[in-house]
Amino acid sequence: MHVKRRALTTALIAYAFLAPALVLMGLFTFYPVIYGAFLGFTDYTIADLAAKEPPRWVGFANFAQVLGDPLFQTGVWNSLKYLLVVPVLQVAALAVAVLVNQKLPLMGLFRTSYYVPVVTSIALAAVMWDWIFQKDGFLNWSLRLLHLINWEGRFSWLLNEHTALWAIMLVTFWRGFGYYMVLYLAGLQSIPAELEEAAVLDGAGAWQRFWRITVPLMKPTLLLCSLLSTIAAIRVLEEIIVFTGGSGGPLNSTYTALLYVYNKSWGNMLDANFGVAGAAGLLIALVGFALSYLNFYLTREERGGRA
Amino acid sequence: MVKKLLAAGMLGLGLLGLGGMAQQRTVEIEFWTYYLSPNFDNYIKGVIADFEKANPTVKVKWVDKQDTMERDLTAAIALGKAPDVVNLWQDSTFAAAQNGLLTPLTELTTQAALENAYYPNVLSIFTVDGKPYGYPWYGWVDQGVMMYNPELLAKAGVDPNGIKTTDDLLAASEKIKKATGAYGWLPPVKDPNGASFLGRFFLEGLSIYDAQGKANFNSAAHVALLQKYVDLMKADVIPQELLRKEAFQLTNELYSQGKVAIMIGGPQSLNRVKESNPDLYKKTKVVAAPLGAAKLQTGGAMDLVIPKASTKKREAALFASFMTSRANQVKFANVVPIVSTARGSENDPNLRPKDPNDPIEVAKGMVSGSGRFINPGFKPPKNTDDIFKNFNDNIEAAFLGRKSAKQALDDAVTFWNANAK
Repeated sequence: MHVKRRALTTALIAYAFLAPALVLMGLFTFYPVIYGAFLGFTDYTIADLAAKEPPRWVGFANFAQVLGDPLFQTGVWNSLKYLLVVPVLQVAALAVAVLVNQKLPLMGLFRTSYYVPVVTSIALAAVMWDWIFQKDGFLNWSLRLLHLINWEGRFSWLLNEHTALWAIMLVTFWRGFGYYMVLYLAGLQSIPAELEEAAVLDGAGAWQRFWRITVPLMKPTLLLCSLLSTIAAIRVLEEIIVFTGGSGGPLNSTYTALLYVYNKSWGNMLDANFGVAGAAGLLIALVGFALSYLNFYLTREERGGRA
Repeated sequence: MVKKLLAAGMLGLGLLGLGGMAQQRTVEIEFWTYYLSPNFDNYIKGVIADFEKANPTVKVKWVDKQDTMERDLTAAIALGKAPDVVNLWQDSTFAAAQNGLLTPLTELTTQAALENAYYPNVLSIFTVDGKPYGYPWYGWVDQGVMMYNPELLAKAGVDPNGIKTTDDLLAASEKIKKATGAYGWLPPVKDPNGASFLGRFFLEGLSIYDAQGKANFNSAAHVALLQKYVDLMKADVIPQELLRKEAFQLTNELYSQGKVAIMIGGPQSLNRVKESNPDLYKKTKVVAAPLGAAKLQTGGAMDLVIPKASTKKREAALFASFMTSRANQVKFANVVPIVSTARGSENDPNLRPKDPNDPIEVAKGMVSGSGRFINPGFKPPKNTDDIFKNFNDNIEAAFLGRKSAKQALDDAVTFWNANAK
């Protein structure tokens, strides 16, 4: 009985500590999410807000409208393409984390320089990348130097519908790389050195140590990083707005799913349709959930069965 | 005892009430501007001080909004804390009025007084379904004046005085590009806001829609005009970057670097040149701008609106009229080269150039009193955002060679007529 009461007290204290954060999250995260989801099932525009009319329940009408809108379909397709940045980003960040984890001179400098893009403002990054991708920009100039392109046929990377999305994905890669590298580095440094040493004594090569020790022990970090970058990729918006002025051009080749939501609400606030934006947002959230589940599934721990 | 306490309480409340009545005489209104701080703090604060002096019972709280203006306005209205006077512009006034967010001005100021105070052409920009919704404030003209780099023009053998029409300008641009490698003039063909190419049609005297509001910008003449610009971009006489960036911004950027020879617009275009390349600024010459076949000057203006949710509309109207009065607009034109939209400004002695050798002063003298020529072009259709997006997508497809000019315009007309609610 005494033990039970003590457990209860401990639980209450824990809840008391959690309460302030929970209240704040409830107010600023859960409530807006639930209300936004609710709006997806209603007809509610800026005119209703002005006239103080409540949202009117319309069931799945907005979802039908959104799913039938070719612009939303284009947006979802482009967002899915954007996911390709995730594996590349994760493999590169992990590989470089392994490299900068070596005890060699100047490693601190390397770690810092890889992290610089993370703290660079998007506005500044946009100016630089804009110049790199221009028709007469740094990228084409470098490719000519390497005899990889025909100079007469050069084009602006952001104005060609076949390259614009990839160009912007490269910026996302550049911005996210240092962030994930640091997370992986922290994970690597938590692996006990004795394990590596024992493996070396047993005659394991570098490749074997990487696959048999590093990767299994890094699974939680791998899951975290791939989850974070998947969610970030499916929700990409900032880069698109900065590089295309919010148009998603050329020819809608960079029009992403979240840009659709943005343009139906915040982007054109005085003409906003919150119902349609809510429905589109909910659909994107569902895709996000599905992908997160996939991430968990792929990195799941195998339990039991093994001696 | 209880009764005594109650009586004392009542007395206290009564006194508070009286105190409140005395306080009530001062009303505070909230005034939102768009991107005016910190550059114009002195001017705005000066006008507010003058207003408060003339109206001691009204206090003005000034807030400058930037990127988030429209969001903040909607949020403030939703929260029941609407500002009283807000600086909007044509498209935003149109959208806000249509969605019932604004007060029709005739509820506060008579139509006659409005017509007396502002140029009718500018007042009509802010008239939605027959009702005026914005007190016209500072304006601009898209054509305004022609500012040019005389060295580049001389190198190309182009006589600036021979450029009288848009066709002359495009021909000059071809010569300049060939001879110097610099661009001549950068026309707005697909600015991120609005539907710029419709403006090109309008300036050349081509129709946008018929009397019933049905879009009809796909005649042979329209197709030929679009094709002409498509060919110019293909030949790199006008840069492809115009599909991604606002022409005004790109012109400003490249003119200062000596990569563009001609700027068409208001004198405000010169402010950045003055800052980033003072030598080029001193060399820059100013002449009257060439016009399209329709001989029109398009342009626009900012306005001051009063949200329907404002609780101090009378004071708000008083302040908005004061801020947009001729005296205050002319003062503003002397701080920064804007076009005054107050009636009679063309004869105001305070709008003459002070230094005939300073390019901004010369340009200011030529345009700041030209508010009566501001032509808003055509009224945007309802469901503006979707229709303009589709129009721009089609124009872009034509420029990128993915659709013929005819196909692009046919598709845009079809979408417009199916979706303009």
